[in-house]
Amino acid sequence: MSARRRGRGRWAVVVVALLAAGCATGGGRGEITITVATFGDFGYQQLFREYEAQHPGVRLQPRISEFDPHHKSLVTQLAAGKGAADVVAVEEGYMPQLRQSFDKFVNLADLGARDLQSRYVSWKWEQGLADSGKVVMGLGTDMGSLAMCYRKDYFQAAGLPTDRTQVAKLWPTWEQYERTADRFAQAKPDVKFADSSASIYTAMLNQSEEGYFARADDSFIGDRNSNLKRAFDTAARLGTKGQTARVSPFTQPWTVAIQQGSFATMPCPAWMLTLVKNAGGDQNRGKWDVTTVPEGGGNQGGSFLTVPRQGQHTREAYDVAAFLTAPEQEKRIFLDTGSLPSEPSIYQDPGVVGKTDDYFSGAPVGKLFASAADGLHPSYRGLRDSVVRPIFGAALGRAESGAQPPQEAFMQAVTEAKTALK
Amino acid sequence: MAFDLSRRTRARRKLPDSPDNVRTPTWRGHRWSLVDLRLTPYLMISPFFLLFFVFGLFPLAFTGWISLHDWQMLQGEQRFVGLGNYADLLRDKHFRNAVANTTAMLMLATVPTLLAALGLAALLDRGLRGRMFWRTSVLVPNIVSVVAVGLVFSQLFGRDYGVVNAVLDWVGIGRVDWATHRLTGYLVVAVMIMWRWTGYNALVYLAAMQSVPRDQVEAAVIDGASTWRVFWSIIVPSIRPTIIFTVIASTIAGLQLFAEPRLFGGGTLGGDDRQLQTITMYLYEKGFELFDAGYAAAVSWMVFLLTLLCAAMNFSFVRRLASSE
Repeated sequence: MSARRRGRGRWAVVVVALLAAGCATGGGRGEITITVATFGDFGYQQLFREYEAQHPGVRLQPRISEFDPHHKSLVTQLAAGKGAADVVAVEEGYMPQLRQSFDKFVNLADLGARDLQSRYVSWKWEQGLADSGKVVMGLGTDMGSLAMCYRKDYFQAAGLPTDRTQVAKLWPTWEQYERTADRFAQAKPDVKFADSSASIYTAMLNQSEEGYFARADDSFIGDRNSNLKRAFDTAARLGTKGQTARVSPFTQPWTVAIQQGSFATMPCPAWMLTLVKNAGGDQNRGKWDVTTVPEGGGNQGGSFLTVPRQGQHTREAYDVAAFLTAPEQEKRIFLDTGSLPSEPSIYQDPGVVGKTDDYFSGAPVGKLFASAADGLHPSYRGLRDSVVRPIFGAALGRAESGAQPPQEAFMQAVTEAKTALK
Repeated sequence: MAFDLSRRTRARRKLPDSPDNVRTPTWRGHRWSLVDLRLTPYLMISPFFLLFFVFGLFPLAFTGWISLHDWQMLQGEQRFVGLGNYADLLRDKHFRNAVANTTAMLMLATVPTLLAALGLAALLDRGLRGRMFWRTSVLVPNIVSVVAVGLVFSQLFGRDYGVVNAVLDWVGIGRVDWATHRLTGYLVVAVMIMWRWTGYNALVYLAAMQSVPRDQVEAAVIDGASTWRVFWSIIVPSIRPTIIFTVIASTIAGLQLFAEPRLFGGGTLGGDDRQLQTITMYLYEKGFELFDAGYAAAVSWMVFLLTLLCAAMNFSFVRRLASSE
């Protein structure tokens, strides 16, 4: 009998504990928690604290993960109908796929987002729309106007000019970039000229109006887009001539190659500078510099803040997103982390245009990226871009490593892409 | 089973010297105890079956249901396609490539792993000083996270800054681009698997070897058999069932090979030529990169069927062995 009573007592303890746990997650005193999921560091920490100070009763909870897991878990959370953060960052490359499921996101236009349109460059605003403009799915954060990072010390050793305006004159076009690579390879054979065929290809593709799909009707044009073919051929040629270090961007070998100084140039979107700094470490400070990219323009990357419909506090989540993307905040983020805002009022701001970067030999990054932003036309990404992109990437990789002749690799990619799109 | 059990227990209750039997139970109490006796065993084993149903059987069946549809992760179910996904799969050369890769890595890893484990177990079976230390330390590789193993070995076999290539370069063989070529890639993955599983299998073999009757071994030694002969003619035949178990277990684990080739191959494609892509990596590519849930479900059912096939082959092999004894 006594054992039984003790048993009941234990049950009571468990039940009380569970109830207590339930209350704890619910939050006390009417305080609400807004989770903000980003990939990598968006530079939001300080802004969160300020927002909390201005809005008593709102607590902001960051949820930071890596690029791929971040987007993949978002898709599974949207499919499952639960688990997504209140505010979720989506990178430009994932927007086309998610745009097809715009019904899983709050239409920010209902919460007054159209008032914010004037903040943005028009193409960035349009990239955040869905359902032929009826739905505002995301508020733009940064964009990735392109520049070229280069190792000053290696250029000097190879007898090339080192001053950034002189270097820019070496490569007004990609053909001239290639010729510079040949000169460099002769003078300094122990260092590769570029990091990988992939990054040259991506940069060139991002500069062209269309990539794998036609802007007009979203049909596949990868087999007949001359800009794409030119990018593939140029990048593959650098690879087959052995002028690339053959390290895929963002991988561990790539990080090591930056640290060890295995290559001399790399196309750099604004957000790339932080990555180069982190990979290169202090021993490479002052060895890099930044100049303009051949043929100019081109956007690479950049993100949006979205509000999944499944959230409990979508109204408050929208307020947070609007705060984080407001020009004042975007400007501070640029000065802190170097992520270039997609709002013209900021990149005409003297504080932004005047920004230089000590790590990159005092390069005027503000001016470089802001002036590139002005003439920027983003490449059109089709709805099924993510299906064919890896196929062409792998083909270029095979060409670069010499596993397959470039033309054959390209033809195989076209065939595979057509099969995958069926 | 339950009926037998309760009858046997009832029989025991009738024993006159049992103190329980002194008090005659009331009729109600008697019936309650009958229910208790019949139901309790089922209740006791039910947690496993309930969990198995929720986490094993239901997902299996639901995956099967998904595989019969054109089902996109985000948009949900589109339409019923019957066995369409399976028909596509059988024509899919990337899937065939993945099956071939998996089989090759499986063979390349399992055979040396089990042979090495057998040898290691034989060594550990001898009277070593600090026996406990050696026996415990062979298990250490197995408890290291597989991702850590993948990362460390990827760096060891790195093309530009890997230790292995530095040594090969130094002795004059030259650098090898391990991950780009199919065979060298298989080799590195096989080495990772060996590193993780040799110790574990050695301990399983060791446990079996300890139960081999010593008198048989001693009789053979007295008859003049060499250590080698004793090992192959007495010990190995005695632990045959254990060897079969490890072969089955390794095969099942090998069919689900994922983390090692993914980390070493640098992505879900397993290299630019899909040279290291296994079946589960292909499943992941379809399901979680292209978000084609229906097709991925069909791939996972093919993995299930392949595993069943392997298990059936092993089973018939065991039966033949048992009848030949």
